[in-house]
Amino acid sequence: MAKFILRRFFLLLLTMVLVSIAVFLITEASPGNVARNVLGSFVTPEQEASFLAQMGLDKPVAIRYLYWLLGSDWHASKKTGLPLKRITTKKGFEEWWAVNEDGTLIRWELVGDDLVALVPTGDGKITKHLDNGRWETEEKGVSTFWGVDTKNHVVQWEKGAGKKVWTFIMGSGWMEASGGPREYIPLKKGFIRGDPGVSLRTGRPVARSLFVRLRNSMVLAGIAFVIVMPLALVLGMIAGLKEGSIRDRLLSVGGMIFSVTPEFATGIFLILIMAVWLKLVPGAAVFGEKAPWERPDMLILPVLTLTLVELGYVLRITRASMVEVMRSPFIRTAFLKGLPYWRVVFKHAVRNALMTPITVIMLHVNWLLGGIVIVEVVFGYPGLGKYLLDAALYKDINALEAGAMIMVAVAVGTQLVADIIYTFLNPRIRYS
Amino acid sequence: MNGERLLLLRIRCLWEGFSIVFASKTATVGLAIVLFWVFVAVFAPALTPYTPTEQDWRACNKGPSRAHILGTDELGRDLWSRLMYGARIVLVVLPVSDHFWIPGGTALWGVFASLILGATLGLISGYHGGWIDETVMRLLDAMMSIPIILLYLIIVASIGASAVNVVIAIAIVGTPGIARLVRSLTLDIRTREYIRAAETRGESPWYIMFVEILPNARGPIIIDAMLRVGYAIFAMGTLGFLGLGLPPPSPDWGSMVAKGREFILAGSPWAALWPSIAIASLVVGLNLLADGLREESMRYL
Repeated sequence: MAKFILRRFFLLLLTMVLVSIAVFLITEASPGNVARNVLGSFVTPEQEASFLAQMGLDKPVAIRYLYWLLGSDWHASKKTGLPLKRITTKKGFEEWWAVNEDGTLIRWELVGDDLVALVPTGDGKITKHLDNGRWETEEKGVSTFWGVDTKNHVVQWEKGAGKKVWTFIMGSGWMEASGGPREYIPLKKGFIRGDPGVSLRTGRPVARSLFVRLRNSMVLAGIAFVIVMPLALVLGMIAGLKEGSIRDRLLSVGGMIFSVTPEFATGIFLILIMAVWLKLVPGAAVFGEKAPWERPDMLILPVLTLTLVELGYVLRITRASMVEVMRSPFIRTAFLKGLPYWRVVFKHAVRNALMTPITVIMLHVNWLLGGIVIVEVVFGYPGLGKYLLDAALYKDINALEAGAMIMVAVAVGTQLVADIIYTFLNPRIRYS
Repeated sequence: MNGERLLLLRIRCLWEGFSIVFASKTATVGLAIVLFWVFVAVFAPALTPYTPTEQDWRACNKGPSRAHILGTDELGRDLWSRLMYGARIVLVVLPVSDHFWIPGGTALWGVFASLILGATLGLISGYHGGWIDETVMRLLDAMMSIPIILLYLIIVASIGASAVNVVIAIAIVGTPGIARLVRSLTLDIRTREYIRAAETRGESPWYIMFVEILPNARGPIIIDAMLRVGYAIFAMGTLGFLGLGLPPPSPDWGSMVAKGREFILAGSPWAALWPSIAIASLVVGLNLLADGLREESMRYL
């Protein structure tokens, strides 16, 4: 058993690695780039190049994948010759600093031809002093320096080159400045060390925005799950009690209709009936900064849509399982023994009929994820699915990779859990 | 004489097929819905005076009226004609480029392509077994464990939104399921005597796989394919809704819903309502048909 779990866990990791590589390569191979998507089509080639360089997107794909997976700080630290450290400021920003030989933190900026060192003092202030002694002269008389800049890159400055640099700031537009470096390495710790990087689209850390989105999605899926499970299991049992009866036909055909109708169609029907016609609940889920549970009325329609779609599926699985159990010899024996009908149903049939649905439901999480994406788009619900869709459309690779990894982990993880539960429910199964 | 008997046999087979459909009420209802949409799709140009892209700026976002049976969308395009041409894209034509199309709907081509891919993989791994089987199945397992919506997103977002690319996406996503089904059927069939006979005759593996095994596995494959056409239409709608379907101004049902959704709260629900009903009815129809057929054929076996 332990060996089986270990093997499956290994398979999970392998799948994640394969998917992450595939996402990287496919995003790479497809037309268009994130600079055009974020900055609009009126961006000049220089601005585009500057943006791509600052994001580190001008590097070869293999290097970028390694930076994404393992982090870039170890590589950048070799260039600067100083160890690098990530700190979180009181305002909650993440900043990278180089660590001096004496243990103080240091960053640099270029003012004209002069290198200015920024050193934080203990009380939150930053002192500046000229630090031109650090220039290193290459051949041909060019002075360069690898250091940490104020925007979390390790950069290589060139004395007197005065390269122009364009910085795009969300909301305020372009800032043009001179003193730009030759090369940028954006600093990050790497995915396996728990840092998925910065969203190329918004400039915010992926981990932080993804956490909120994931929480919202889990609230949605969780409520739907809690409603669907008992309801679908009970209805499925009722339908499966007597195969071919009116009740069975109504429930199973109704369940089928709900489960095969695309989520967006169900969502539109519900909006039209509940929000436009009856005016009971709002037809969209726009939370702003609020958490979903602060506006429960906006949760009703998304949850209901998800519930209807999932209800049909689980109901049909439960029904099929119940029908099979009711046909089996031990149920006939129980009836022939003269046991009361309800006793046979509850004591003998239900317990055995529950086995398949519980595991199949776990396998169904794969589908559920797709349903959640659509429901979130229909209602404008700020969840993981919408985040992923936006990331894919913008080619925001860091956000896309992080979202994809979570989805794969959830899908494969639940399959593993399903297998384990199954061995407990059915001890005859042995994995070797 | 012989040809005549063959024809008679054909007719009897066809008749038996129909009697299976009509023996089940659900299958009959499903068939009626599907035939309605096929009819509408085939005869679309004859059933409406409008083209799907003709705009009437004097009648934007109107409800049903005598001039426009189902109303108009935000650009004043007739919804009924857009709906019919939408069905045409799903069921009858595959628009390869602006001026070139091939017969067979986008959804049908998607399923057909995944059938070819999946059946080949399933036959090879089921018939050969051994390390080929192991490798193919593990790869397909890994593929199946990736959330479907993620696969669609990645595939379409990378190769771009067009009818052919939707076919490719549907084919790739559908392949693992079909391969598994065909493999399990192959494992069963290859133990039969006629396969042994063919092997003794010295037929090539390809002949045995495609001429001996595949035709004998057709029953479950046909029913599965019918369900898959439903999935494919579902997927087409979903992709269109997410903005990853056919590019505008194609009358793609999913993108019609996505566009019409913006005007629901502004008081004109028609542009979102009709394509939602269309896609739901077609998918439900196909599922009713497949379900009824499966039940009836199981009863006969």
